[in-house]
Amino acid sequence: MPDQEIGPGTRVRRLAEFLTHSDAVRVRIVRPASDVEVARAVRAAPSSPNPTGEAAAADAEPARVETIVADLVGVFRLGRPTPAEGAVLAGDRELGYVEALGIRNPVRSRGAGRIVAIAAADGAPVEFGQPLFLLDRG
Amino acid sequence: MIANRGEIALRINRAAQELGVRTVAVFSQADRESLHVRQADEAFCVGPGPVPRSYLNIPNIISTALITGCDAIHPGYGFLSENARFAEICADHGLTFIGPTPAVIAAMGDKATAKRVMHEAGVATTPGTGILADAAEAREAAARVGYPVLIKATAGGGGKGMRAVESASEIERAFASATAEAEASFKDGRVYMEKLIAAPRHIEVQVLADGFGTVLHLGERDCSMQKPSHQKLIEEAPAPNLSPRARDALHAMAVRACKHVGYTNAGTLEFLVSGDDVYFMEMNTRIQVEHPVTELVYGIDLVKEQIRIAAGEPLGYAQADLVARGHAIECRVNAEDPANGFAPQAGTLSTVVFPGGPGVRVDTHIFSGASVPPYYDSMLAKIVAHGDTRDTAIARMERALRETVIEGVNTTIDACLRLLGTEAFRTGVYDIGFIPSMMHDLRDGAMVASQSER
Repeated sequence: MPDQEIGPGTRVRRLAEFLTHSDAVRVRIVRPASDVEVARAVRAAPSSPNPTGEAAAADAEPARVETIVADLVGVFRLGRPTPAEGAVLAGDRELGYVEALGIRNPVRSRGAGRIVAIAAADGAPVEFGQPLFLLDRG
Repeated sequence: MIANRGEIALRINRAAQELGVRTVAVFSQADRESLHVRQADEAFCVGPGPVPRSYLNIPNIISTALITGCDAIHPGYGFLSENARFAEICADHGLTFIGPTPAVIAAMGDKATAKRVMHEAGVATTPGTGILADAAEAREAAARVGYPVLIKATAGGGGKGMRAVESASEIERAFASATAEAEASFKDGRVYMEKLIAAPRHIEVQVLADGFGTVLHLGERDCSMQKPSHQKLIEEAPAPNLSPRARDALHAMAVRACKHVGYTNAGTLEFLVSGDDVYFMEMNTRIQVEHPVTELVYGIDLVKEQIRIAAGEPLGYAQADLVARGHAIECRVNAEDPANGFAPQAGTLSTVVFPGGPGVRVDTHIFSGASVPPYYDSMLAKIVAHGDTRDTAIARMERALRETVIEGVNTTIDACLRLLGTEAFRTGVYDIGFIPSMMHDLRDGAMVASQSER
């Protein structure tokens, strides 16, 4: 396996980790091959007479996190200037590239968003479908 | 690097790891949970389920080999194994393609060229023609060759673009439909003609050739138990009831042919045999599905030999060192419905139990809970039985098939058992028309079997 194993289990674990450190209660990643949805249990405040907390949480707009994946096999390189986790992108931007058979294949953000995570290390071999960036589309 | 999937990917992995060679597997998104992914030292996803975007995705496969530092690529069978262009691309990137040279693959891959080259080498070929320009030429050629004739696609395989023609009245229509089917299947509508050999046996010769001019044969396999689609179902080595004269002729021709074309690595020459007459049909420039029957009879690991030859090692033994011992039979267990014309099945395998014990070998990639994706070949397992005599091997094979349990999809197990039990198989007197003539019985047998289970 490449450095970044991306079995469904790992993907869900990674999402769950992201979820526990964010305000969102539910994240859905929609991809052509596999949809993943992870929800966080939200406990209602014990003093509350009815579970409005839970109902409110369930109604909350889920954060729209999109995974940018490698669409070919090669070596992943971060772009210059180096994108950082937490950075907010105003629009479409080249975040890096996958070098394969001597050709640099750009990886673009395909729109605005906040970089939640950079999922592959600079210089790492990446496989088809491997997550490279997690973007919060807001 | 193992550029394949399923049982042959595991088979290659086993040979490489026993030789102390580290392995890299490639897989499609549909095969993420496959055994070859788990057992290789490294594994890379090269594309989605459909074959053109994953197992035939040359850029991603080559890129994987390069970034993981592979020295060589074993293509297995099917997929890229007989793609001369792929072999060339490997060489361009400093990767050793485990197989013959691109020129030999290309020459043997074109059936009309292969036949011409074999004829030059003094190998008997079926009387026939070169590429036919039009229906008028086909009519003229058929009159010369003599009916019945077979129109075949030069890029063909699996019976596509092939038409049997009994008389002159059918020739124009057969030429048109064979050309159209070949064009649709292979993007190459060129066809040629051969005399149709009545009730032939399909017998093939295994060869090994190193880079130092040594060419050895490892006997023959009888693969006459073929479905109507010409796909093999049961294979055995050696071929039963083959006259010493025909056997010697086959072996000698195979070696002579390989020397003539400068063949290297493992290969198989397929012949049609009718009585003592043998005719070259085609050469497969790769390891074949049914190679285990030869391995059990000769005690040689053919895949290891392929790797050693590709690494530039000499074979290190002579023809006299190769001694056949006993008899081996292979049954292909496919996810297919014999009652429905062997239609392929996809699904999840709820229960999988394989046989064991003396003289039984199972080459498979499936396990309980594994899924059978719809994208790939329907073969689930090869069950191989070896015995001192043919009768012992048959008894072992029947015992092994009865021990096998596969639930979740229909399989060819019952069909194989029925075929093994026929008088024709018992006596070893059968030709390639046997299974097609049994289709009604196989359908009824499957119905009886499914009723008795209830």
